[in-house]
Amino acid sequence: MATQPLRFIALRRLLAAAAVCLLALGPASVHGAPPDDIAVVVHPDVPVDSLSFAELRRVLLGDREFWSSGVRVTLLIRAPVARERDIAVKIICEMSEAQFRQHWIAKVFRNETPSGPKIVYSSEMAIDQVTRTPGAITFVETSKVTKGMKVLKIDGLTAGQAGYKVK
Amino acid sequence: MAQGCCALVAALSWSTAAGAQTAAFVSGQAAPPHDVAPPQSAEQHDYPSLHIAGFGDIDFAQTKHPEGPRGFSLGQFVLHMTSELSPRVTFFGEISFTARSDAGTGTPAATGFNAEIERMILRFDESDRLKVSFGRYHTPINYWNTAFHHGQWLQTTIARPEMIQFGGRFLPVHFVGALVEGAVPAGGWNVNYQAGFGNGRGNVISRAGDAGDNNDFRATLLTLFSKPDSFYGFQFGGSAYFDKITLPDTRDFGERIVAGYAAYQKETPELIAEVAAVRHQQADTSLVTWNHAYYVQAAYRLPQLNHVLKPYFRFEHVGVNPQDLVFLAQPAPNLDSGVTVGLRFDASQFAAIKGEYRNWSRGGSQPRNYGGFFQICFTF
Repeated sequence: MATQPLRFIALRRLLAAAAVCLLALGPASVHGAPPDDIAVVVHPDVPVDSLSFAELRRVLLGDREFWSSGVRVTLLIRAPVARERDIAVKIICEMSEAQFRQHWIAKVFRNETPSGPKIVYSSEMAIDQVTRTPGAITFVETSKVTKGMKVLKIDGLTAGQAGYKVK
Repeated sequence: MAQGCCALVAALSWSTAAGAQTAAFVSGQAAPPHDVAPPQSAEQHDYPSLHIAGFGDIDFAQTKHPEGPRGFSLGQFVLHMTSELSPRVTFFGEISFTARSDAGTGTPAATGFNAEIERMILRFDESDRLKVSFGRYHTPINYWNTAFHHGQWLQTTIARPEMIQFGGRFLPVHFVGALVEGAVPAGGWNVNYQAGFGNGRGNVISRAGDAGDNNDFRATLLTLFSKPDSFYGFQFGGSAYFDKITLPDTRDFGERIVAGYAAYQKETPELIAEVAAVRHQQADTSLVTWNHAYYVQAAYRLPQLNHVLKPYFRFEHVGVNPQDLVFLAQPAPNLDSGVTVGLRFDASQFAAIKGEYRNWSRGGSQPRNYGGFFQICFTF
């Protein structure tokens, strides 16, 4: 009979220790949570389900101007400071903000493209524009992706999967 | 004149409204003020959509022996106009105003500005693989000529390489005619092509045949270049150009140009190397002369001070054959060796200050020359 209270006390201590650990880990895991991957979203009629990372870079740099259906690519990109833009410029294009701007000014100057990317000022605006503009492509945090949006795989991986590079 | 000014002001006002989004992109505006209407939707595209941008530069030069402008000079004031006429048709125009000591009237000629239509191109885009255009171009047989040309702010250095100087005669800087171009993925090699057919050099060989060709032989050109995915930032290519030159004294010469280049433009480092060879053969004779030119340029954007400094170096050479009858009639300057060392400081994202030292020798009896150069250049 005397062993049961002892086991009960041990169990309580174990639970308490587990609770302390959870409390200790909980806030840290919230603050240290990895930021969302960035989903590459296109207009529903864009005839592409997947792009390689290099192809995505060519789209961002204006080297690819048309989808296979013949519709012109409309690049929607967040204004500076937004994380989506940072990922696009620094991770995908491997450029600084100044280099990215100079690249596009030079691109228009060389008459390789008639205009630079279109600026969107919020995720909501990006989502609204990409669903309404034929040929549009944009970058949205995965937590903001809603049902019905067409999200591209990059190098065969969906945003959130291990190895996904757009983050 | 007044009508022209009014038209320019109207065009600028129009472009300001129509190009609000691009302006925001360029200015880096983070978000629109609350009392301003939200930017135009990307789907609400009005045609034509005119945008105007430009480049300008102010220069200073001091050389040991007089050659080129001395003291302060205004460089070129360049306006670019781009307009989408439909989803697949675009117009591009470029006008330059260049300070010249002999542009004005009177005797001696007063200084003034020469206005020039540098480029005027109407392009039809079928796809990435096929684009057809007509107009006046920067001849796409030289990397520097198409990559930077009048955009002094775009190029790292103050001076262009001698082989492709403004108003130079070694290579044809402009081309009037038609161009077919496109790009194919080619397994990640991203091969681009440009094929051109049009008027080559005019009676004055530094000028294109803007008002018509001066002989019955049209110039043709073919350029191929690659931007491989596996070596991001690297680009290399080559080109060939064929024309018949007719000098004012009616002598005809066949001209063939072959050129090649490699460029790595990621700035850490930036490397550009180009080579070109020009062959002239007088019609109905076997007299053939070859001329050649090359340059190698290296630069590196330093990580200190928020990446605003970029030192650079260039070595160049232009070997003009003294027997070449075309370049005897209309001289292209020889350059035994030219060394340029300089520093570019990006004072803002759209303005830069450059300072450079050049030391060059033209050979023959001409003494070696050197000088210091300074430039403020910008885009707007």
